[in-house]
Amino acid sequence: MLIQDNLLLTRSNPSGNGGIQFLYRVKDYGLTAISGPQEEISMIHWEVEVVKYQNPKTAEFEVCHTTELADKTLKFYSDKSLNEFLQKSFQYFEELDSLEKMLPEES
Amino acid sequence: MANVKGSSVCRTAVDEGKPADWVPGGEKQTVVDPMKMFHELPREMQFITGSEAARESMRRANIDIAIAYPITPQSESMQQAGYLYDEGYIKEYYRAEEEIGTFSAISGASRAGVRALTATSGPGLMRGMEAVSSWPGARTPIIMLNMCRVINTPLAIQPDNIEMSFLLNTGILLLHAENQQDFYDYPLAAIMASEQVDVTLPAVVSVDGFFCTHARGPVRITPEEYKLPPRDGWRSAVPAMDNENPPARISRDAPIQKSNFISYHMHASWQQEVFAAVERSAKYFDKYLGGLVEVINPDAEDFIIASGCAVSQAREAVRQEGEQGRIVGLVKVKTIRPFPTTSILNAVKNAKRILIPEFNQAGWLHKEVCSVLYGRCNAVIKDGPRVFGGMTMPTEMILEWLEEFRKETK
Amino acid sequence: MSLENLRPTPAFADVLPIEYRDLVEHGPYTNRTGDGSKQTVKVTDMGKFKEVIEEHPMCAGCAMTLFIRLVYIGMPNPEHTIVVGTAGCGRLAISQASVPFIYGNYGDTNAVASGLKRGLEVRFPNQKKDVVVKAGDGGLIDIGFQGLMHSWFRKEKFTTIMLDNEVYGNTGGQESGMTNHGKVLKMAPRGKFGDKVDALGLAKVAGVDYIARLAPTNPARVARTVRRAIMVAREVGHSYIQAYTSCNIEYSIPTPDVMKDAFEIEKERYGFEEIISPAAKAYLDEVEKKPKKKKSD
Repeated sequence: MLIQDNLLLTRSNPSGNGGIQFLYRVKDYGLTAISGPQEEISMIHWEVEVVKYQNPKTAEFEVCHTTELADKTLKFYSDKSLNEFLQKSFQYFEELDSLEKMLPEES
Repeated sequence: MANVKGSSVCRTAVDEGKPADWVPGGEKQTVVDPMKMFHELPREMQFITGSEAARESMRRANIDIAIAYPITPQSESMQQAGYLYDEGYIKEYYRAEEEIGTFSAISGASRAGVRALTATSGPGLMRGMEAVSSWPGARTPIIMLNMCRVINTPLAIQPDNIEMSFLLNTGILLLHAENQQDFYDYPLAAIMASEQVDVTLPAVVSVDGFFCTHARGPVRITPEEYKLPPRDGWRSAVPAMDNENPPARISRDAPIQKSNFISYHMHASWQQEVFAAVERSAKYFDKYLGGLVEVINPDAEDFIIASGCAVSQAREAVRQEGEQGRIVGLVKVKTIRPFPTTSILNAVKNAKRILIPEFNQAGWLHKEVCSVLYGRCNAVIKDGPRVFGGMTMPTEMILEWLEEFRKETK
Repeated sequence: MSLENLRPTPAFADVLPIEYRDLVEHGPYTNRTGDGSKQTVKVTDMGKFKEVIEEHPMCAGCAMTLFIRLVYIGMPNPEHTIVVGTAGCGRLAISQASVPFIYGNYGDTNAVASGLKRGLEVRFPNQKKDVVVKAGDGGLIDIGFQGLMHSWFRKEKFTTIMLDNEVYGNTGGQESGMTNHGKVLKMAPRGKFGDKVDALGLAKVAGVDYIARLAPTNPARVARTVRRAIMVAREVGHSYIQAYTSCNIEYSIPTPDVMKDAFEIEKERYGFEEIISPAAKAYLDEVEKKPKKKKSD
């Protein structure tokens, strides 16, 4: 089972492909993890994107491939490896948020 | 499976290829009151596929015999049933020759007075329909898991629940699971309802194949040391064919199959009783499932009525509409037979617009809803969106339909 | 248990119909030891004791009816037997017997019996229940072929009895897989194309433990064969009996000549034959020698 920290929402895969989506949020950034159906059950995996939220009150987001965490869709084949990545990314998002807050002040 | 306690007639653990001190898994479980299992036992969250949820449900269901023929996407579950048999949670099990053989054999097993489980998907259900449609009249409690898939040509293995429409008028109890959690809970509830004396009918739990069976989801499951009470072959509307009771007259009277007034009358009354029994099962499902429907935002003017996977997509549409400040109601139909007419009527009494999204071409749920709401509700009922043949239903699709619907119907 | 169901409450015993009392007091149920080792109701006494089937709506002179009566007499333990059948003439008589009868769907007998037998074994681990399929040639070799063959391959522990009248009698005389080559019948206006299906050969290849072919010319032999088949199915594996039960209507056999026809066909192509596996033979030797042993003790 995935960790519940910073979990914004779980919902059925909105694309309608079946499976489930976990949405994590730390400030304006976060992660979406989708586990969809596979014909071979052993091939079930997580597809993970770094996302940037568009609205402080809703779950609207855009996929973000410009962070140092990931420049593409990531695949994880176990909950354990994804959980480790989640912990790492939560810390990164906190730092990213502080950095982004500093930027306007500098300019 | 070994019946290790018995006399010379029993098969021993050694006969079953197990060590002499082997104790079947089922023997280590404790029988628990169904209501306690459904509502009181602690539950542990697991992130598992629908097929694995079905396995855990079967493990706790005190199944005597499971018979099935493999077909995608059912096979994932029924090979799991094989492991449960090997572990001693299911007492008897075999892979049958095909579906007519499967569904005939499972009716034989039920007639023996034992708890019998089978499972199938789309074309398999179609192949065995003659047998399946004879189960209710034979008053055989059977649990069938039905992992829906395309049945039309060209052959495909994708999700599509058109096959459920073939079960609507058989006299079978029919539930539609939304997700992995339901596919764990519903079979247990269906077994207990189907074996009540005033019901004594087969039950089918359908689920949309692949979307649920071959994908993981959160499932809260009860401890595996507890199982349902066993089927009591003596408690039944029609006696088991075990030569311990005089058989029901329908099995004895050849003239029933002949053309005369008495045979017409007997056949008609027998069918009336079957369909009355379907309605009588409602009180048990209400108790076991906490209602035949689930209602979200009961005061809304816009409603979505859905079953199966369409509910999950509708839930998200309702949530996103909420984010935009629009309240949309949702009625999740859990039991298709008995059809929850009164619950739906009560839920949508203030509705202006009702949308019915479905994963099939025929729109059988739309037809069902229209047939019960006609003349009893002022809402406009719109059939759609509908996807089939494996097509998906993105949340946006429902949102667009809702938007269009509001424009059409002020 | 079932005997208790049959036995009338003492207070009502003297007001029950004589037929009922005869069945309970002089029928095949109570006159047996139950383990099949001893049979006190004899075929030669037919007509002197109450049979589990007497009244039926079959055609006058039907050889199948005689055979069905003999099957019930031959059953080692009718009070713990369930008969499974399918559409066809036979079920009109079979459903009138005081042995439970499952009248299933078309050609489903051997699948139903597979589930039934296994279910009964789970539910009654201490009481042997005999399951007997009694169905016609069409029901077994045509529409029920797949179920029949697979029950043989799986060595399901029940008995299949084919009532082979070599025609679809109940639907009005169409040719079946068991009809002889060249025979002109309905749906075979130019004579049947293929040969009569070699069901005995198939049973042998499938490894059926006890196979027998007979005509109802020797009533005692019919009863003994049925008993042997059911005993083998209890303990060893599957058993199959194929019986010539002519259709005097569709084959235009004058009613008084039905038995003459049976003797002729038996002589020509339906002679008594038993094919017994070594395991079944060993078991039957053991069961059938028991009473003799006791005498010599």
